[in-house]
Amino acid sequence: MNQKDRDSVVVSAGFWQQSWHRFRRRKLSMFALYFIGVLSMIAVFSPMIAGTKPIVCRYKGSIYFPCMGYYNRTWENPIFQKDRFRRIYPRNLKRKDPDSWAIWPLVYQDPHRPVRRNEWEGMKGNPYGAKGQPTSKNWFGTYKTGFDVFASMVHGTRIALLVGFVSTGIAATIGITLGAIAGYMGGIVDLVISRVIEVVMCVPALVLILSLQAVIEDVSIWNIMMLLGLTGWTSMARLTRGEFLKLRETEFVAAARCLGASRTRIMFRHVLPNALAPVMVPIAFGIAAGIQVEAALSLLGFGAPPPNPSWGTILNSGRETLQSGYWWQLVFPGMGIFLTVLAYNLIGEGIQEATDPRLADPGN
Amino acid sequence: MVSYLVRRLLVGLLTLGLITCMIYGLIRSMPGSPLDTDPAMMDPSKMPSKADIERMRAVYGLDKPLHEAYWQWLKNAATLNMGTSYSQKKPVAELIAQRVGPTLQLSVTSLLLSYLLAVPMGLYATVRSGRPDERSMSFVLYMLYSFPSFVAALFLQLLFAVKLEGTWLELPLMGNQSNDYETLGDMAQAWDTFQHMILPVTCFTYGSLAYYCRFVKANMEEVIRQDYIRTARAKGLGPIRVLIHHAFRNTLIPFVTLLGLTLPGLLGGAIILEGIFNWQGMGLLFFESILGRDYPTIMSLTLMFSILTLSGQLLADILYAFVDPRIRYS
Repeated sequence: MNQKDRDSVVVSAGFWQQSWHRFRRRKLSMFALYFIGVLSMIAVFSPMIAGTKPIVCRYKGSIYFPCMGYYNRTWENPIFQKDRFRRIYPRNLKRKDPDSWAIWPLVYQDPHRPVRRNEWEGMKGNPYGAKGQPTSKNWFGTYKTGFDVFASMVHGTRIALLVGFVSTGIAATIGITLGAIAGYMGGIVDLVISRVIEVVMCVPALVLILSLQAVIEDVSIWNIMMLLGLTGWTSMARLTRGEFLKLRETEFVAAARCLGASRTRIMFRHVLPNALAPVMVPIAFGIAAGIQVEAALSLLGFGAPPPNPSWGTILNSGRETLQSGYWWQLVFPGMGIFLTVLAYNLIGEGIQEATDPRLADPGN
Repeated sequence: MVSYLVRRLLVGLLTLGLITCMIYGLIRSMPGSPLDTDPAMMDPSKMPSKADIERMRAVYGLDKPLHEAYWQWLKNAATLNMGTSYSQKKPVAELIAQRVGPTLQLSVTSLLLSYLLAVPMGLYATVRSGRPDERSMSFVLYMLYSFPSFVAALFLQLLFAVKLEGTWLELPLMGNQSNDYETLGDMAQAWDTFQHMILPVTCFTYGSLAYYCRFVKANMEEVIRQDYIRTARAKGLGPIRVLIHHAFRNTLIPFVTLLGLTLPGLLGGAIILEGIFNWQGMGLLFFESILGRDYPTIMSLTLMFSILTLSGQLLADILYAFVDPRIRYS
């Protein structure tokens, strides 16, 4: 075949390309994808959207980024602690260095503390209790302690998305690996792994989370994500196992074996890409489930520990004042959880339809 | 078939052994013991003496090493002796018997409701497939399916118990019955129970209703394209007869599997929802026993849930073979 012939050959779109093409045609799923994209941006840039620490400031001749403190306490420049700012920047910046300047977050509210009077010249402090209704200053209202709900929710986006991704990532790794081994090896290996799957399915996650506290002093959100991952892999393992059972009998596996490919190579290089499509669906649904479980755990009092706000903990503090009728503490975090879960479900549905071979485009 | 059953049962027993062993190890390694989570023990004036604590540890079997204690528990469980609850000082079997009623009250009502509503709704959706009314119905159901039930529970509580307080639409915030339940007449008692059930049953039902509805529709869409449906139509049968007798009856097989998988949920209750509504059922019992480190209760409940989960799967597999003669187990 010479070069000219080679150019005239039309390369037909691969499976993933075709699937993406079909996925894009589903408007709702694409909309959900955009929604998650926007949420991810909010999560990444949360300190720049709502916070009381300047994004960039010039202080005593140097440039600082105090807002990094929201990602990690230790990333906040120590000079501000040394100069006794006490986390109140606007007043202190001007007083201690009249030549300083700063770029502030869009909304001057903090997830860790209520804004007090005169932080800015003539500014009112956050209202609390029944007066904490949504206003132009506190978009989503305040808690009974005066914390701003909007700021807490913006910063809670980080946890909400992380919980879904990390726990499902762990679950997918374990589930796909074990499912692949069980399905491909068969026999006694399959029997043992299938029993393990059954055992994990029956162990209540709550018991696991409580016993985790025995091993680790203070349980962080990362431990909870790990635990959700360690208990949530069973459905993916079962699906992968089923696919591998089917695929190991096919001709291309026999061909690979004849060519002398190693067992691991056949499993992960040849079979896995073909088994991946059905597993994508529980992954998308798993992210939605992870977010829900984290919120539910917070409602029971076992969620993300303070000071990191998660949507579940906001919902829980709304539940404490439910009988006073402070609707803003329930409606905003509740809708946040709902919309995110809905978006992931729509994406999962989109993947399901897009990768279904029965709905594939005929021909090209 | 018999050899298959025996094999499945033996493997099931092995799995149960593994599960209980693991749970026993886990809960014994949880921080705190039943002796120091009891609030009465926190009172410094009533602090038990060291000898008392030793005596209580012996009574509860906490002085034995883990494997001996587990073996003891296993022997008791084999003779159906589930032990005595530490915190409530009652036999666990009695505690469970008390709590099963309220849980079944919710789960059976919700199961019946969701099946009774889902089948006609699913059939309607099949017939009107693609029309605006079907599309909007499916959209609403999909939203409901994604709506976390605990969020819905809180929203409903806020609306019906707080915002509508004092109007005729007011519903009780939580609990199984009002405080003055005993003094009410028969009709008033029934009305009271009904009122308390509305919110929890709604929260239990709407999610599964949406799920079953989509399930019925998805299965019907596949069947309705079959040749025998065209034949039935061609020989002049009415649309309703074709839909129910020829199409719907053939979608019952996946339904059976679904039923088997809902079995553990029927008795298990839901920890979160029962917690929010303070509904005195199995889920709440489980949660309380974890908080109180009530080992015998946790173990019995876990054993029960595990047996139900495993037998639900087995039942689904067996029923599958019954309704579909093409499936054989050997």
